[in-house]
Amino acid sequence: MDLLLDAVVIGVLLGCFYAAVSIGLSVSFGLLDVPHVAHPAFLVLAAYLVFFINEHYGIDPLVAGLIITPLFFVFGLAAYRLYYETFERRGSDAGVRGIAFFFGVAFIIEVLIILQFGVDQRSVTAAYIGKSWRIGDMRIPYRMLVAFGVAMALTLLLTLYLSKTYMGRAIRAVAQDQEALRLMGANPIRVKQWAFGIATAVLGLAGALLIIVAPIDPTLDRAYIGRTFCVVVMAGLGSMSGTLVAAVILGVAESIVLTMFGASWAPAIAFAMLLGVLAVRPQGLFGRRS
Amino acid sequence: MALSLAISGLDAGYGAVKALRGVSLHVEAGETVALLGTNGNGKSTLMKCVAGLVRPQRGSMSLTIDGVAHDLTKLSTEAIVDLGVAMVPEGRRLFPKLTVLENLMLGAFRAAARREIERNLAVAFETFPVLKERKSQLAGTMSGGQQQMLAIARALMSSPRLLLVDEPSVGLSPLLVSQTITKIGELNQNLGLTVLMAEQNFNQAVRIASRGYIIVHGEIVVAANSVDELKGNDIVKRLYLGGIV
Repeated sequence: MDLLLDAVVIGVLLGCFYAAVSIGLSVSFGLLDVPHVAHPAFLVLAAYLVFFINEHYGIDPLVAGLIITPLFFVFGLAAYRLYYETFERRGSDAGVRGIAFFFGVAFIIEVLIILQFGVDQRSVTAAYIGKSWRIGDMRIPYRMLVAFGVAMALTLLLTLYLSKTYMGRAIRAVAQDQEALRLMGANPIRVKQWAFGIATAVLGLAGALLIIVAPIDPTLDRAYIGRTFCVVVMAGLGSMSGTLVAAVILGVAESIVLTMFGASWAPAIAFAMLLGVLAVRPQGLFGRRS
Repeated sequence: MALSLAISGLDAGYGAVKALRGVSLHVEAGETVALLGTNGNGKSTLMKCVAGLVRPQRGSMSLTIDGVAHDLTKLSTEAIVDLGVAMVPEGRRLFPKLTVLENLMLGAFRAAARREIERNLAVAFETFPVLKERKSQLAGTMSGGQQQMLAIARALMSSPRLLLVDEPSVGLSPLLVSQTITKIGELNQNLGLTVLMAEQNFNQAVRIASRGYIIVHGEIVVAANSVDELKGNDIVKRLYLGGIV
């Protein structure tokens, strides 16, 4: 019983971490319909930059994540522009070819990381890594609490941004009716580009979490394709609070399976849940499409 | 406030299909002009040309405001909205998963409109009180008539001087069509809006129009200087009033 409670608590925290690494995809794929399979590769790239800053300058990984956030915003703007010019503007079959484009980008990033940092695992140092908080028999690693806090902050900030600002409302509107948005005097392409910039910018902190939670290697992105897409699809495309709930469900499920059946089963959970959601409730738990 | 829209010799189309051929019309400040024609004759294409959504292939469109002429064929939709042109599109085209209030606020997306948002929101709620009652409701869950009201109110949020209304009667019951047309007439009377309205319901449109054009197969076949002239026209009798006159 204690073991199960342990698994659930750790699972909730793990889920919050998954929310933090998925929420950008909730904007780019969920709201903009961009088949952004390179999202996890961007995430791993951010984690390596955090590693680099941490190792060379001794800066705290979270601060390093904040430092690269504006850089990633610009990177996102450029990536969307390239995708738009080469694929999206050509029309309706852009989706499938778009996936090929982003797979290509993901592989290029992987190779660049290997060339620059090698294939060895990398990790960062910070005061909260490696220590735990004891409550009774339970031990909660501080690094998971950091993930929890950052996930909450990101979800709250994005939810507020999307509902309280003119640009945020336009981002939610652009997936619903582009031409109508043009009649409001907004340029849908520029709105989508901006949104993609934001979706990429939040990877600064998410990448910091990735390397705070566990050591990273250049191919780690592959393990996160299933997880991030599972979370975003389960959430119902484009729902930020839904992303948090869906990520927690995935985290708890993975954690319980890990405890009960062993580590080798855990990676299959995300794909199983993804297939389950697509079969039973394709609009997701908090779906925007009816 | 001096404003006039002049269109001359306009050709437009989609690929090989010509939707407009040599269309000329003009709208002067304070008028309500009806653009009449049945489905598929080019009304929507003409409205989209004025709004900058469709680029004409030939011809000129100019909007003169206080003596300054603006060439609409060269401007983006954003710039045209900034000039004070707003469009209520055919089929309403609301953002169904956003609330009524969020739809209205998107109507005020341009910087100039954001500064006026308090005043324009008050005007919108005063004109359409039902929207105030339902401001937190999702737009897609409202009835067709309420959605049409919201589409018009959303267009008012950009402080327009020229309002383009495309087929306001589509999908509405006769009673609601009548109410919607009356509202558009009130906007012209009370707010001093200049209105160009595309409509296929002849009898409803001429209730509020000061004059009108008939468009058939992408060409203006009748340009009438008054509603009486419109009603007396032979083509109109044949197309619209056949059973009545």
